[in-house]
Amino acid sequence: CHTSGMLTPNRKEYAQKIPREELTHLILKLLQAWKEPLSHFNQHIEHHQELPDDSLSKAKQISNMVHELKTGVEKMQSMGIISNSLNGMASSEAAGLSISNEANMMSDSDFIHCFRRDSNKVQSYLKVLKCRIMPENSC
Amino acid sequence: MKQKLRSSVQIILLFALTAVGLTGQSYPGKPKIIRCRSLEKETFSCWWKPGSDGGLPTNYTLFYSKDSEEKIYECPDYGMSGPNSCYFDKNHTNPWTTYNITVMATNEIGSNSSDPQYVDVTSIVQPDAPVNLSLETKTSASTMYLWAKWSPPPLAHVTSNSHVYRYEIRLKPEEKEEWETVSVGVQTQYKVNRLQAGVKYVAQVRCMLDTGEWSEWSSERHIRIPNGESPPEKPTIIKCRSPEKETFTCWWKPGSDGGHPTNYTLLYSKEGEERVYECPDYKTAGPNSCYFDKKHTSFWTIYNITVKATNEIGSNVSDPLYVDVTYIVQTDPPVNVTLELKKTVNRKPYLVLTWSPPPLADVRSGWLTLDYELRLKPEEAEEWETIFVGQQTHYKMFSLNPGKKYIVQIHCKPDHHGSWSEWSLEKFIQIPTDFRIKDMVVWIIVGVLSSLICLVMSWTMALKGYRMIAFILPPVPGPKITGIDTHLLETGKSEELLSALGCHGFPPTSDCEELLIEYLEVEDSEDQQLMPRHDNGHPSKNAKMIAKETDSDSGRGSCDSPSLLSEKCRESRAILSTLQTQDIRDVQENNGGRHWETQCIASEQKILLFNHESTKSSTWPAAQLPDNQPPMFAYHSTVDAHKITLCTINVNIAPVLAENEEKHQPQYPITETVHDNMEKQREMENLYSKTDQATVQVKQNRPNDKSPFLKPTLMDYVEVHKVRQDEEPAVLLKHKENSGKTEKYTVPGTSKEYTKVSTVVDHNILVLMPDSRIQHISVSQEPAMETSQNLQQGQAEKNMSYCLTVPSECKRETSASEYMDPSSFIPAFK
Repeated sequence: CHTSGMLTPNRKEYAQKIPREELTHLILKLLQAWKEPLSHFNQHIEHHQELPDDSLSKAKQISNMVHELKTGVEKMQSMGIISNSLNGMASSEAAGLSISNEANMMSDSDFIHCFRRDSNKVQSYLKVLKCRIMPENSC
Repeated sequence: MKQKLRSSVQIILLFALTAVGLTGQSYPGKPKIIRCRSLEKETFSCWWKPGSDGGLPTNYTLFYSKDSEEKIYECPDYGMSGPNSCYFDKNHTNPWTTYNITVMATNEIGSNSSDPQYVDVTSIVQPDAPVNLSLETKTSASTMYLWAKWSPPPLAHVTSNSHVYRYEIRLKPEEKEEWETVSVGVQTQYKVNRLQAGVKYVAQVRCMLDTGEWSEWSSERHIRIPNGESPPEKPTIIKCRSPEKETFTCWWKPGSDGGHPTNYTLLYSKEGEERVYECPDYKTAGPNSCYFDKKHTSFWTIYNITVKATNEIGSNVSDPLYVDVTYIVQTDPPVNVTLELKKTVNRKPYLVLTWSPPPLADVRSGWLTLDYELRLKPEEAEEWETIFVGQQTHYKMFSLNPGKKYIVQIHCKPDHHGSWSEWSLEKFIQIPTDFRIKDMVVWIIVGVLSSLICLVMSWTMALKGYRMIAFILPPVPGPKITGIDTHLLETGKSEELLSALGCHGFPPTSDCEELLIEYLEVEDSEDQQLMPRHDNGHPSKNAKMIAKETDSDSGRGSCDSPSLLSEKCRESRAILSTLQTQDIRDVQENNGGRHWETQCIASEQKILLFNHESTKSSTWPAAQLPDNQPPMFAYHSTVDAHKITLCTINVNIAPVLAENEEKHQPQYPITETVHDNMEKQREMENLYSKTDQATVQVKQNRPNDKSPFLKPTLMDYVEVHKVRQDEEPAVLLKHKENSGKTEKYTVPGTSKEYTKVSTVVDHNILVLMPDSRIQHISVSQEPAMETSQNLQQGQAEKNMSYCLTVPSECKRETSASEYMDPSSFIPAFK
């Protein structure tokens, strides 16, 4: 996966220890890293006639969701919800990742596999973050 | 002869051949029964092989008979065992009978029948072969042996599985020819000891029921006996699981060990790394397992796991398994499941369930998020109702039935990835029945009230049912115009009607009396001839009436003594009937519907006693009178009057009888002539005899005669107008018209009613008292016709008494006839 190079906590302890800002940064980085490949992928599968329409719309839906998620996290970050200090870290680094060709050379199954894993990562990190920020809500 | 036969046969053959030659068709060939077989002694099938079909579509039918019976049956099921077969199911199979089976092939041209086959079910039993034969080598104490296991043959059509099979197993090395057969008994497994190592064996098994034949041999199974020098077999990894998304465990299944102790090692490598690690922990999770603790567990990386089996000879490696731990999470079931019953505002119970996540799962940090699902059902129900709850750990259930016991279970799953856990332990909850006191009280009150009402009603019905009925369904009153006889109306005699209405003189014959009593002119002769007065119709009625006279009186004469009638009247019944008829008719004509007299002809006594038995014996209520006679008294009350009928003999009938009668002579003439009353009056001799006649005595006190008994004078028979049975029971007697017939009797004056019963004598004699107060009105003519009673009444009103007795002997159908013997009567007439 093109995001394999990113250093992300792969255990619960690491996820709990890592500072919130860094975690948020990681989340954003991940989301950003997938923005471009997703749109590319959508373009790619549109030409695949054998896929049912559901898949195509689903793929579009997913890329929208990723984009919204990223926007939301950025907003939270800028509002200072996540951390006590305003932090407007640019994620140019992530942007660089996404442009790389590596993403474009993946096969479809690898693409899906990598995306699944990274989305799971993002989800887990967000949940950990949520329980760290607001522990009373179903944590 | 022979030649003829021969030639005819030849001709037939020729025809057949030409037929065949021309068309190529013939009757079918002979079918042949191949075999019959029973799988389990409870059903059996027979298969046949068709012969040639003769070119035409052929139908095959199977016929059979049992033992030596004559009756032939047809196959119950043709298709079950395939084409050209017949299946005898449980109901048609009798193990102790011999079946005689034949198959007949039929086509358009003709038919052909197979040879009969005699089938004894017990001898054709052959089960199917056993199934699922499995072979395994096991080593114990450095000896190797072979475990063979199998299952009995499946039975499709028969439900009962209580068949005991005996088995046989045979095996041989692959290359050899000879089988070694071992009888196993009823077990479905067998251990083979003497094995040659390193040799490939093949095994088969077959079975048999207690009767019949052995089944076929099952399909072959091969197994290679590992000799002492072979490496172990390849193990297989069963599964890997993480209970809390922090650690995980893998289990594997070893293969055969090749005769030597084998070591198993689990080796893994991570994604992107080349390095191979060995399992950190073989013990924690049990035998043939590997436990990866927290430190060794990495998420979002793929593990490449293999298991290697090693023994002295060599080793073998299993197939690799690629595992990403995030996707293999399966937790324990939720714990601390509590069920609580609470009540809503409306006092309806609802169930509150709460539970906790499994202890190992760390939900607090958000690292693992669980979704829950619960299921419940009433205790006796079959199906569970599953409800997805989500991530909350509580739930409220409202739609539960009171009075039922429910079972609840919960399980959980990590959201998005992973598997559902096992269900938690069953929890029971009993929903209490909703017992509102208010409702119960209401129902109890309703029940009590309704039962009370029922009781009251039934009680009142019992006591006063009659009156109630009368109250509820009052009897329809007839048109009670005095003087009009309903019967008259029914019969539609206009004349009488009009006369009743008061048309003087209109009716040619009648006097518009309200009551006309006809009298027959009786000749005093032995002949007992009675001259019918009128020739009217309605004979039937009288006849009927007469027929009813079944008095069994003692025979004494009395006004209407049954005995008299019975004895004397029988002979002349016909005449009597005629007379009566006419009488009645007359009466009717003359608007005298009340005809109650029956006349009895007493030969000796020459007493004609008209006595309407029926009417007499009928009770007062007119309703009782059958249609034959117009009721004497148009009484429509349902009064159950005393069965009194007054024998009213108009005119001159001087019934008598009483104790004193004997002393007297037949003094009471019975005169019946409607018109000629006067003359006839005396003619009638009414003889009531004597004595204990139940008779109706009408005693009239003559003037100056206080004697309560009959005087030897004319007794007057009064028609009873009505019987009032209300507070003042009274018998209202009609006053007779007495127009001049008997001077004696003519008594102008008020009509009298004899209403009061002064006494009852002897239990069967009513002594009436006239009631002069009551005016008897109705018909205008009436005053003109006053009976002698009136005459006498004036004098002895009070003492007039009419005895109404109910003669016991008098018989009619219903009761004793009643007679009235008026002491004096004035014949009534028109």
